[in-house]
Amino acid sequence: MPRWIPDEPGEEAALLDALGIRSTDELFADVPKKARIGRLGVGAGREEPQVVAEIDKLLDRNKPLSKFANFLGGRIAARYAPAAVDAIVARGEFYTAYTPYQPEASQGMLRTLFEFQSLWVELSGMDLANASLYDGATASGEALLLCRRVHEGRRFLIPASLPWEEKSVLANYASGPGLEIGEIPYDERTGRLDLGFVRAEVGKGDVFGVLADVPNGFGHLDEGVPELKSILGEVPLVVVADPLALTVLEPPGNYGADVVVGEGQGFGIAPSFGGPLLGLFGCRKEHARSAPGRIVGASVDVDGSPAFALTLQTREQHIRRSRATSNICTNQSLMALAFVVYASVVGPRGLAALQTSLAEKARTLASALGSIDGLAAPRFEAPYLGDFTIELQRGDAAAFLDRLRRRKILGGHPLRDPRPGAVPSPERLLVSATEAVGEREILKYAKAARAAVDARGGAP
Amino acid sequence: MTFRQARWDEPNLWDLAPERSREAPPTIPGVPESMRRKEALRWPELSELEVVRHYTRLSQMNFGIDTSAYPLGSCTMKYNPKVSELLARRKGAAEMHPDQPEATAQGALEIVWRLERILQKVTGLPEVSLQAAAGAHGEYAALLMVRAYFRDRGELAQRTEVLLPDTAHGTNPASAAMAGFTTREIASKEGCVDLAALRAAVSDRTACFMLTNPNTAGLFESDILEIAETVHAAGGTLYYDGANLNAILGITHPGRMGFDVAHLNLHKTFATPHGGGGPGAGVLAAGEKLAPYLPVPRVVKVGRKFRLDYDRPKSIGKIKSAYGNFGLDLRAYAFALSHGEEGLKHVARRAVLNSNYLAQKLGAYLPRPFRPLVKHEFLLSGAPLKERGVRTLDLAKRLLDEGVHAPTVYFPSLVEESLMIELPETESKRELDAFVAAFDRAVHDTPEHLRDAPRNLAVRRIDEVRAAREPLLSWKDLRARTAKVEAPTPVAPPP
Repeated sequence: MPRWIPDEPGEEAALLDALGIRSTDELFADVPKKARIGRLGVGAGREEPQVVAEIDKLLDRNKPLSKFANFLGGRIAARYAPAAVDAIVARGEFYTAYTPYQPEASQGMLRTLFEFQSLWVELSGMDLANASLYDGATASGEALLLCRRVHEGRRFLIPASLPWEEKSVLANYASGPGLEIGEIPYDERTGRLDLGFVRAEVGKGDVFGVLADVPNGFGHLDEGVPELKSILGEVPLVVVADPLALTVLEPPGNYGADVVVGEGQGFGIAPSFGGPLLGLFGCRKEHARSAPGRIVGASVDVDGSPAFALTLQTREQHIRRSRATSNICTNQSLMALAFVVYASVVGPRGLAALQTSLAEKARTLASALGSIDGLAAPRFEAPYLGDFTIELQRGDAAAFLDRLRRRKILGGHPLRDPRPGAVPSPERLLVSATEAVGEREILKYAKAARAAVDARGGAP
Repeated sequence: MTFRQARWDEPNLWDLAPERSREAPPTIPGVPESMRRKEALRWPELSELEVVRHYTRLSQMNFGIDTSAYPLGSCTMKYNPKVSELLARRKGAAEMHPDQPEATAQGALEIVWRLERILQKVTGLPEVSLQAAAGAHGEYAALLMVRAYFRDRGELAQRTEVLLPDTAHGTNPASAAMAGFTTREIASKEGCVDLAALRAAVSDRTACFMLTNPNTAGLFESDILEIAETVHAAGGTLYYDGANLNAILGITHPGRMGFDVAHLNLHKTFATPHGGGGPGAGVLAAGEKLAPYLPVPRVVKVGRKFRLDYDRPKSIGKIKSAYGNFGLDLRAYAFALSHGEEGLKHVARRAVLNSNYLAQKLGAYLPRPFRPLVKHEFLLSGAPLKERGVRTLDLAKRLLDEGVHAPTVYFPSLVEESLMIELPETESKRELDAFVAAFDRAVHDTPEHLRDAPRNLAVRRIDEVRAAREPLLSWKDLRARTAKVEAPTPVAPPP
C-alpha cells in the first residue's frame, strides 16, 4: 500500500467509530449486489524503489532524441528549454493547483495566464487571447466553430496541404453541427494555395470561414496568405501560426486574420511523445463573446489593488451548459506558464535569433540534400524558415527513414495519412533543422540520404 | 495561529523593464516583404533571475495541494506523488517525439499499452484509448462515437437527443451540443435519477443518457441497473462520466453497471497534477458496441512488439494531434503500479470514509440535503446563512482566510446555496479535523467579517462584475486604457 494514504495506527478505527460503523463495507451498502465486482486483476502494488526500477526499465527501451542526429520537427518541436523553465513549472504552488475558481487564492496562476494571453496577443496581432486550449489541432477545431457562430454558411475551407492529423481533427469538429470541409488545392511547384479556387468558393456564398497556416503543412511560407482577407471580405480568416516564426514574421492580425491559433509546445514544453501540448487561441475583439475556453481579465479588489479573475464566464459550459461556446473545462494552464517563462527567459531578441539560426541551418541542409539525385530538396520552390519538405523520386519514405535511423539519424517524418484507404500521396517527408544539429550532423544526413536513395529497392 | 498568504507588490512582467525601441528582427533570406515582421516582438528583455523571481513570487500567491487542503467537490484533489514527477522528466519520457519510428519508442508504447490494460480492468470495458486531452474532450469524442454508431445503423436522423440528469456537470450538455445533439435534462428525485421520469423521457429519439455515478450530489445511483435497462430497451447508449470514479474503484465499474462508453479523468482518480487548470488527461473506454469507433491510432501488441494501429475503418479518426498526453499517462501508470489491486480498492474505501466522516461533522453546522450515506463528496446548503445576511460565497471566501481552499460552490444548482465538499483519501484524520475546526471558526464568525473576507490573502475580494463589464484581457488592453486616461481632454471651443 503506498504511504500516500495515511495509516497512522488507530486512525481508520477512529474514523469508523465516529460514524458508528465497523467496516468500510457498510459505506457501500448503496451499491447493489448485482453491480459489485470481484477482483480487478491488476496485480499487487509496489514500493517506490520498485516502481522507479520498473518504469526506468521500460523507459530504457525508448531511444530519446538526444541519441540521434535529429531532424524531426514540424508542429511539435524538439527544442532546448532553459532549466529555469522547469524550475518554475515544478513549483508545487503552480502544478498542484486546480482551475482558479477562487481568484483571491489563485492570483499567481491568474496573473501568469494574463501574461500568457498578452504574449499571444503580441505575437499574433489579435485583440485578445484565451488562457489556452489542448493543442494546436483542437484550437483550429474551436476556431472553426467560432467562425460558424459569427458567420453564416455550411462550408469551411482548409489547405489540402494541412497535416492529415489536423484535417482529421477538423473533420470531427465539423461533423457535430453537420458542416462541410473543403480543401483548397495548392500549386505543385510552389505549394501555394490556389487563391482563384478560394475566390470562386467564397463567391458561392456558402463559406463561413477559411483557414491557412504559416508556415504551411510543408514547412514553407505561402505569399498568398496575407492576400486572403482581401478575397474573403466579411468571411472570417483563421491563421494557424507557429509562435517562433511569429518572432520574425508579420503578426497575422496585421493582414486581417480574425482568429490566430497555433501549437505552443515549442516554447519550453518537452515533446513527451506528444503531450501535454499547448493550444494557442486569439481573436478579434468583436468575437470575444464567441470565443471558447477560459479567459482571464484584469480587475481590482475592494481596496482598489490590481487583481485578476476568470472573466466573460457566461460563454462557458458551467454556466451556459448546452449553449456554451465550447465544452472546455480543463485547458493547459501549466503549459501556458512554461510558454511565457520560456519566452521571457529567452527574450524577444533571443527568440528571433533562434529562428534566424534555425533558418540558416535549414538552408545549409537544403543545399546539402539538394544535390542528391533522386531527391527533391526542398520539394517546393517557396521560402521556408526551419522546416521544409523533401520528396523521394524513387523508393518509399519509410524505407528511407529506416536506413537513416540505422545511422543514428532521425530524418524527418512522412507526410502521408497512414490510415489504410487514405488517398495515396507522393513520398514526402517534412525535415527540420533543430537546435541540436550542426554542420557535422547536416553533412552526415546528406551522406546517409545519398546512400539511402541509391540503395532503394534492396532490402533495408 | 492566523494564516497569511504572501503578498508581493509584484508588477506585471512588462513593467519590470522600461520599453525600448523595437527595431525590426533580423531579415531571413527568402522571406517575402509582405510577411516580414516590421517591428520586433513587444515583450520585455529581462535577466533570467528577474524572470525567476517574478514567477517565484507569483507562485507564492497561489494555493495548491502542496500548500493547502483543497476540498473542491468533484475535482478529487488528492496528493500528486512526487515520484511521478521524477519519472516524467526522465530523458526516455520527456525527450521523445511523437513522430519517432515505433522501433525507437517501444518503452513509451508499452507504458501506454500497459496502462490501457489496467484501465480496461478498472472500467470493465474491453477497449481503451488515451488520446483525449481531458475529461470534457473524452466526453466529446465519446459522443462523436455514438453519432458514428447511429449513422452506421441508419438511425442518426432519428436519434438526435442526449438525456442527462439535472445534476450533470456543465461539460456534459456542452459536449453533447458540440457533437450535434439536442439535450434534455431529467429532474432528479432526492438527488438521484428519477427512474419514472427517465422512463417517460426515453424514446426512439434517445441517442444517449449521460450519467455520473456516484453523482454530483455525492450519491450512488442505486437504480443504475434499472437505468441501464431502460436506456438500452429504448435503443439508446449509456455514457459514464468518470469524474467521480474515485469512490468506486474496485467496488463496481462502468462495465458491470451497464455503461457502453466512459471517460475517466487521470488528473482526478489517478493523481496526475492539474497544473492550475490543466493539463488533464482523458481516458476513453468503450464496450463492444462502440469500441470500433474509438479514435486512431490504437496501441497494439504484435508478438513482442508494440505498434500504432491505424487500420480501424469505423474509427472517428483523430481528436488531437499525436497520441495523447503521454507525460500524464506515465504519471498515472506510476500511480496504478504503486497501488496495485489492494491499493486501488483502499483508495475508494478511504476516500468514502473521509467523505462520510466530514459530512457527519459538518452536517452539525449546515443542513445536508438527501440521504446521509454519501460517496466521495457531499453537499451542504448554505441557505440558513441568509438569515444572518451572509451567503455561501461569503463562507467560501472566509475559509480561504483559514489557509484552506474553498469547496465547490453553487453547484449542483438543485440545492440552494450549495457547497460541494470532497477531501480524498490522501488527507489524514488530522487534516480533516483541522478543516472542521476551520469551518467552525468561519461559520461562527461575524457577518461583517464573513462579508469582508478574505483579508489574509494577496488580494481582497475581487470585483468580478467589473472584470466582465469592461474586459481588460491583455497588456495591449492595459496600454490602451492608460493612453485613454492620459490623453488630454479636448477643450470645448468657445461659443
